[in-house]
Amino acid sequence: MAGSNEVNLNECKMVVPLNTWVLISSFKLAYNLLRRPDGTFNRHLAEFLDRKVPANLNPVDGVFSFDVLIDRATGLLCRIYRPATAEEPEPNIVELEKPVVGDVVPVIIFFHGGSFAHSSANSAIYDTLCRRLVGICKAVVVSVNYRRAPENRYPCAYDDGWTAFKWVNSRSWLQSRKDSKVHIYLAGDSSGGNIAHHVAARAVESGIDVLGNILLNPMFGGQERTESEKRLDGKYFVTLRDRDWYWRAFLPEGENRDHPACNPFGPNGRSLEGIKFPKSLVVVAGLDLIQDWQLAYVEGLRKAGKEVKLLYMEQATIGFYLLPNNNHFHTVMDEISEFVSSDC
Amino acid sequence: MVLYDSATLGGSCSGSSSSSSSSKPPPLQQRQQTQQDIDGFLAGAGYRVRSSELRKVAQRLERLETAMVNSPADLSQLASDTIHYNPSDLASWVDSLLSELTQPPTCPSEFIMDPVSNQTVVSDAWTTAEPHMPQVHQNISYEQQSLNNQLTVVPAMEEDSGIRLVHMLMTCAECVQRGDFSLATSCLEDMQGLLTRVNTVCGIGKVAGHFIDALSRRIFQGIGGGSVNGGSAYENELLYHHFYEACPYLKFAHFTANQAILEAFDGHDCVHVVDFNLMHGLQWPALIQALALRPGGPPLLRLTGIGPPSPDGRDSLREIGLRLAELARSVNVRFAFRGVAASRLEDVKPWMLQVNPKESVAVNSIMQLHRLLGSDPNRNSPIETVLSWIRSLNPKIMTVVEQEANHNQPGFLDRFTEALHYYSTMFDSLEACTVQPNKALAEIYIQREIANVVSCEGSARVERHEPLSKWRTRLSGAGFRPLHLGSNAYKQASMLLTLFSAEGYSVEENDGCLTLGWHSRPLIAASAWQAVSDGTADFPA
Repeated sequence: MAGSNEVNLNECKMVVPLNTWVLISSFKLAYNLLRRPDGTFNRHLAEFLDRKVPANLNPVDGVFSFDVLIDRATGLLCRIYRPATAEEPEPNIVELEKPVVGDVVPVIIFFHGGSFAHSSANSAIYDTLCRRLVGICKAVVVSVNYRRAPENRYPCAYDDGWTAFKWVNSRSWLQSRKDSKVHIYLAGDSSGGNIAHHVAARAVESGIDVLGNILLNPMFGGQERTESEKRLDGKYFVTLRDRDWYWRAFLPEGENRDHPACNPFGPNGRSLEGIKFPKSLVVVAGLDLIQDWQLAYVEGLRKAGKEVKLLYMEQATIGFYLLPNNNHFHTVMDEISEFVSSDC
Repeated sequence: MVLYDSATLGGSCSGSSSSSSSSKPPPLQQRQQTQQDIDGFLAGAGYRVRSSELRKVAQRLERLETAMVNSPADLSQLASDTIHYNPSDLASWVDSLLSELTQPPTCPSEFIMDPVSNQTVVSDAWTTAEPHMPQVHQNISYEQQSLNNQLTVVPAMEEDSGIRLVHMLMTCAECVQRGDFSLATSCLEDMQGLLTRVNTVCGIGKVAGHFIDALSRRIFQGIGGGSVNGGSAYENELLYHHFYEACPYLKFAHFTANQAILEAFDGHDCVHVVDFNLMHGLQWPALIQALALRPGGPPLLRLTGIGPPSPDGRDSLREIGLRLAELARSVNVRFAFRGVAASRLEDVKPWMLQVNPKESVAVNSIMQLHRLLGSDPNRNSPIETVLSWIRSLNPKIMTVVEQEANHNQPGFLDRFTEALHYYSTMFDSLEACTVQPNKALAEIYIQREIANVVSCEGSARVERHEPLSKWRTRLSGAGFRPLHLGSNAYKQASMLLTLFSAEGYSVEENDGCLTLGWHSRPLIAASAWQAVSDGTADFPA
């Protein structure tokens, strides 16, 4: 139909359910209002518009949550999601940090998406997603409220991820009975997927095991324009212009998209050969314009001899995992469950 | 271990229709049907859209996108200038943006041309995009959702002792609820002992001490209030003033209410503010100054301040009035003040306020309405009486600020638990503020609230805080509809906080209302209301 620069509304309507289209479109339009051409961000309006939910000590569908301030200096909050047990269907306040029960209890450290600039751990869409993860993985989920761009550029988000990782790893109440260690998985969507990768790299460098990485539509990029970027620009909710804006907002000033944060296997990247990098589950949406970078990431892992499973969802757009109203959603959730439980 | 708690449902939706054009709340049954029609998936994401309206909202979104693309203006500037309201009501939000973008006469021709054929194209595309999976409509009844507890745990130095202390407080409260006072007493003794080993200057030790005191009072002095409520008006005003200075809660309340009142009074020349609790009149200088600077000039402002009678023959209300009149004179605002002395709000009769039918009235209630919730089976419920006469004044706006907590539950243990969390959070936030000589007095102010919630019952218990969701139901049922606080108020509140307070405070938007809290826990909620003009109200059964 129209050229890639024009607004092309028709194609994305055909491939997603109506309510998904409404949700993602309203995000898209709201986000367009928040990004300023000079690289600054309308944070007040962003926080005003974001739909948030409080933590909830009363279990809902078998999951309860509470917030923890893990670093007073930076105000780093995490939201912890735990399954309610049969013995303690309604936890009282002294039992929040009761030891997890089980030989092997996976702990998933989750980094929400938002292209490094949007959303929070207590955003409704991510609260919902984390609750689901608890159920399908029988895991404790720790959602990290990392500092966002452009106010906090690289490496703040990674530093916060690392702080949260160390905190989780040092909680005795999160240890699995089998080996008195915390069984950690890292997960994230969009920018969160990117953060998961970098935190995993730092973890293994420090000699701490990570059992697996789960990257949902992870945000990677590079200086070059790939075929998928050119072909899909503007077609399915996302434009190259906005991708560029978010990288400019996150990366250190003056850096380009071949910075290793953005392009870990690019010209400035570092090889993972010989490093005990965890197995990865990488989900790529076939209608995501940055898929070439995501596929290059998978290739990079493979070349370095790392275990990686690619889930390429052909007709999926960004955000398909936010509403459980499509087949891709259920496929991916099953795979995640399998990925995490295979260590038990 | 310091514990925080919240009883709010952030992002939850009220039963009343928010910015629709209907002028009165729909009857209860209709409202329930409407709720069942809401798209369950979007509700989970914090948006309230009727399934039957999804298609229409989608079309409007498309038009909005086209308008945005074709807009000659810098979008981000437009976004800053526009006031956004209640994002949960997606349809209204989209419509308001659409009208912002399509109003100027420089509307690009591509947009105006062929609206009919555009719509035909759109609807064709939507028919074929119908999902093949059946949509599951989740029945979500927001009014039925029970209040939830939220907790933030802050690791402190004495974790184990802190946890033990909390455990013991809960046990003691449970004994009290059961009527086992001998066990409760021995609990108290144990806790006093533990307190000596815990840091009582900050953290859990500090707030636990106040709760232990309150429990002692209840057990040994009974539930009649006595020394808790015995403070003089002068003392109360002093403590209030220090609480105002030490932390941002009251400043936020005043600021947000003033902003809403200012907007409501736009275009009106005779305005009358009724303040349910004048205290030192701290709220009003800012409004007087804002009115002075109003384009088109200030209105005639009347202020009626309600407060307790002064015991010693001084007319303290009048003194405050005189000072405010001085200020008004200095900025050329025509001003008149009237004091109404009453020990209880329910003793005030509307004729005492002398409202002139030609005036625009604003009723301002900062943490007063909850005091009317005490029930006496022999009398009409005071809250209903007061809300009824407020409504009869037909105010342009009623600003309501209340503690965002569920401290009016009938069960003692539940109330105690809620209060422990709420006040732990509040004390923690106070610690973050700059150390001032008056911080200690601010703490006594809060301590008095704790004592009232925990150790009093019946008419002595006046601190009957209820959360926003309950106030929404109550006020809608009494014939009020919400006036939404917008993104401009939100932004200014956020900015003020950054300027004057410590890191860690957060303003949140909640379905047209604003809350101020510490980290992720809202502690105080501000909302604005207007009397529904026609028909009778639905009084709660």
